[in-house]
Amino acid sequence: MSDSKNVQRLPAEELYQRELEALISAERDPIPTGWRMSPKSVLTYLTGNTIVKGVEITPKYMGSRRLVEIAIATLVTDRALLLIGEPGTAKSWLSEHLAAAVNGDSTKVVQGTAGTTEEQIRYSWNYAMLIARGPSMEAMVKTPVYRAMETGSIARVEEISRCASEVQDALISILSEKRLSVPELGLEVPAAKGFSVIATANTRDKGVNDMSAALKRRFNIVVLPTPADMETEMDIVRTRVAQLSSGLDLNAKKPDTDAVEKVVTIFRELRKGATLDGKQKLKTTSGVLSTAEAISLLTNAMALAGSFGGGTITDEDLAAALQGAVVKDEEQDKVCWKEYLENVMKKRGSAWLSLYRACRELGQG
Amino acid sequence: MSGPVIFGVRHLSPAASRHLRRVLEEVRPQLVLVEGPSDLNDQMKWLCHPDTAFPVAILAYTRAAPVRTLLYPFARYSPEMEAVLWCHAHDTPCRFMDLPSSVFLGLEEERARRWAEELARQEEQEEEEEPSAEEEEGPGDEEGDAGESVYRRLEIATGEDHDTFWERTFEQIEDTADYVSACHTFGRELRELSQDSPRRWSETLVREAYMKREIQAAVDSGVPPERIVCVCGAFHVAGLEENRPMTNEEFSRLPKADSTATLMPYSYYRLSSRSGYGAGNKAPAYFELLWDCFQSEEGLESLTYRYLVRLAASHRRAGNIVSSAEVIEAARLADTLRTIRGGRFPCLADLRDAAVTAMGHGSFAELSVAAADTEIGKRVGFLPEGVSRTSVQEDFYRQLKDLRLEKYRTLEVQRLDLDLRERLNVKSKEAALIDLRRSFFLHRLRVLNIHFAALLPSRQEGANWGEYWELRWTPEAEIEVVESSLLGDTIEGAAAFALRERADNSAGVAEAAAIFRDAFLCGMPAAAAHVLTALQGLSVDAAALTEVAAAAEQLSITVRYGDLRQFDSTPVLPLLRQLYLRACLTMEEACQCDAKAAPEVTTAMEKLNLLQLSHDFLEEERWLGLMETISDRDDLNTRCSGFAMAILLERGKADEELLAREVSRRLSPGVPADLGAGWFEGLAAKNRYALIARLSLWRHLGDYIAALDDIDFRRALVFLRRAFADFAPLEKQEIAENLGEVWGVDPRQAAEALTAALTEGEQKVLDELSDFDFDDI
Repeated sequence: MSDSKNVQRLPAEELYQRELEALISAERDPIPTGWRMSPKSVLTYLTGNTIVKGVEITPKYMGSRRLVEIAIATLVTDRALLLIGEPGTAKSWLSEHLAAAVNGDSTKVVQGTAGTTEEQIRYSWNYAMLIARGPSMEAMVKTPVYRAMETGSIARVEEISRCASEVQDALISILSEKRLSVPELGLEVPAAKGFSVIATANTRDKGVNDMSAALKRRFNIVVLPTPADMETEMDIVRTRVAQLSSGLDLNAKKPDTDAVEKVVTIFRELRKGATLDGKQKLKTTSGVLSTAEAISLLTNAMALAGSFGGGTITDEDLAAALQGAVVKDEEQDKVCWKEYLENVMKKRGSAWLSLYRACRELGQG
Repeated sequence: MSGPVIFGVRHLSPAASRHLRRVLEEVRPQLVLVEGPSDLNDQMKWLCHPDTAFPVAILAYTRAAPVRTLLYPFARYSPEMEAVLWCHAHDTPCRFMDLPSSVFLGLEEERARRWAEELARQEEQEEEEEPSAEEEEGPGDEEGDAGESVYRRLEIATGEDHDTFWERTFEQIEDTADYVSACHTFGRELRELSQDSPRRWSETLVREAYMKREIQAAVDSGVPPERIVCVCGAFHVAGLEENRPMTNEEFSRLPKADSTATLMPYSYYRLSSRSGYGAGNKAPAYFELLWDCFQSEEGLESLTYRYLVRLAASHRRAGNIVSSAEVIEAARLADTLRTIRGGRFPCLADLRDAAVTAMGHGSFAELSVAAADTEIGKRVGFLPEGVSRTSVQEDFYRQLKDLRLEKYRTLEVQRLDLDLRERLNVKSKEAALIDLRRSFFLHRLRVLNIHFAALLPSRQEGANWGEYWELRWTPEAEIEVVESSLLGDTIEGAAAFALRERADNSAGVAEAAAIFRDAFLCGMPAAAAHVLTALQGLSVDAAALTEVAAAAEQLSITVRYGDLRQFDSTPVLPLLRQLYLRACLTMEEACQCDAKAAPEVTTAMEKLNLLQLSHDFLEEERWLGLMETISDRDDLNTRCSGFAMAILLERGKADEELLAREVSRRLSPGVPADLGAGWFEGLAAKNRYALIARLSLWRHLGDYIAALDDIDFRRALVFLRRAFADFAPLEKQEIAENLGEVWGVDPRQAAEALTAALTEGEQKVLDELSDFDFDDI
């Protein structure tokens, strides 16, 4: 812990250690096998906004409380949980915090990529040792899933839909049989009580493999929506920007409500393809414009302001960051953005005028 | 305890029914008073009829127009129903004790009157829907801002919607005493919170005073108070305990409407969709399931799997795959969700969320059809024959049976294709004409604005003998049937009255003719004769050509298809002749019109042309002579003249030479471009293939265009463009080829020139065209 200051990003269980400990010590409800706290406490940890034993529990997930309940209840029933949603709907965030609260360990992660192999799900070998001594427990390299099965805890599989289907299928037997066979050693590893898997999958990414019905059936599926209303999204953006910037030493003031509101408004409008009042239809961009992107946009603007500007985010900083976020490499996005500037932003009145000017100037360059 | 037993319920709550039954068994009352209109006690015996299937509703309505209605819906699991049925089974007197429906309706009329006055005072304010009486029921006895805020506040406090809160907190209470005290406390608290809506509140007080008065009367009549059970909304319990009864004098001051009541079948769908008030019942089929569970040995234990199995079955029926393993997982998940929120058993929200997660891949949309089926259901109530119904309802049901349309009395839309021709392969005349009689019946319903059947547009095949309907029964339709009892005692009688009334009030011949056609479609010669007389009277007055043409068209249909509908059209003929003559005489005058009115006139010309063609008793000579005159005259609207020319061409009364002469005359240089092009537009409105085939016509048009100077060309361009606007692409292509031939252009070169990108100069010219000054066009 001594060098934790120099770590770029701490795992959730270390970052929120105080909160977790307070919840554990205040526990009164029955605790499921393999868990550190009761489902109700997990819920409190995630939805926050209370004080337990003098420690303020911050909200981790700001969307629907009901969805969090369903997610937790799924883990209680030892079913695997699949979180689906558009990019930036806090899937990984929720999965990390769930694992942190349930096990105090959110680090058993398999990152799904196109290059993920079956060995990364089940187990692989230390080949030098395998060749030298033959198959043995010592030569085996255990995967996070393997370790979770042994210890009866939660393994996380990120971006499961990016894995090739044979890799996805490797999970099927693990989830249905709840045991892993190692034929080389004549070994059957049964999953200890408390073992479960939280997987996340993206709905709008390119290069996504469809999940088989067989695998889907092994999961309880929770679809995470984009934030339901303006207020929630602004809350999320503001809190996350504050958390991020304090970790990054950005030397800039936090964006004021006005800037957050503008960014969130623009993102919501372009995402939905209509103005907030629903009166005007807009073209949607090719990018997803997720909440996560709004957060990184604002931290980006803070970095710009901190390093090259006066330390406060100006409309020029915002404009530069917006341009980068909205206009990806496609020509079409440029058109959408220009139309948005002229048809919507220009007519918004004086509060938006300077941002509009800054955006337009950038666009012409 | 000495006073009467007051049992507070939530309307349409199965748990309330269950506990009420226990209380009734325990108290063994000598009299039961139920919240409900006290002037409608006579409907009770029908509610208890063994053949009655719930849901049904009591419908009270005013005898005079505008009809105001008041609905009291009952499901099998309504606590009120439980009380009534218990009394029926135990030979115990049972009475409704709420304000009489006539007073409710009277209050409503009063309110409407005040509303109208208000409206008159501050003009232009959109009419708002009358709050229906149904919404005035219940422990949540108020709506509007104050009421909403109570439930909103409750929702914010509990983090769940109000129905779920109720179900979790009250519906699962096992012990009756606990239930009673919980429910009464809830009602009392709610009461505290909702006194800020003065109008609703005053009505509540009036109702409670009346109920108290009824209770007092029962006590005074000698029934021991402790043997009286009063069933009312939990909201009213405190009111009944504390307030004082209404005096005779006060009662006599209440407004009363002249009203009557009937029973009608209701539907679960309606029950769920009309639940804007606190005692809502968004999931009637689910509540029935709950009720079934209460009746069964296992009790609520079985609710989880009953619901999930039903949902899965319904989802499978819709063509989806649901494994039993998924159902089991859903059941486990529902139970875990329940432990997070507390409560003894999973409630609907838990069950549905669990099902969505485990069976619906996380998206409710996938399960929505099955969920609607399981939670709302398609149940439709049924009343046995002879139940107190209005005579129109009786007639409606008799005819449904007679015409074998009963199977269409469902909530789903069903198609009915009718073949109006007489069937020759059946024995009785009745059967031979069944489709025709069905058609009459459905048209009568249409005339009465009863939305049971909707007429679909006819198809090409069988255009004159086929009729296509979509049938769907709704409680609204039933209400409309009841409302039509103001007009007569049978469907036919009411339809006749409605037609007569409409005819007497109709302002013009076209309207009257449309009514006549309705009467014709309804197969009601007597009513048709009446309408015809009215039509005759109207036709004497000066009427516009378009209206006369429309009227003649309607009459023509009845003459042409009269036989099919067994309709004697002889009385129509003189009038048709009269209208035809009138139209011919006014036609020339009508053709002196501006460009805006011209399309209407040409439509009328087309109608009359068809009319003349289909009835040879109308003089052909007169018509053709008229067309020639119009075609020849220069001082009429040129579009009309062009159209007259088109009619002559179509009927073979104009030869190539005449056409050529006319074209060069109408399109000669010097004639203003809009006039020339207008004429062409009229000409091109008809028989296009014949026109396209005539090369000489296009040669003339080519010459004409060549002769125009720049300014006139632009003007003509606008009109010609409009004239060609509704030609099909293929036709346009053929015209282009014709013109190409006239001008000696090679098609390939032309295509190349046309598909090439516009040069800047061309673009400029086109842009200038958009700035063209259309002044008077």
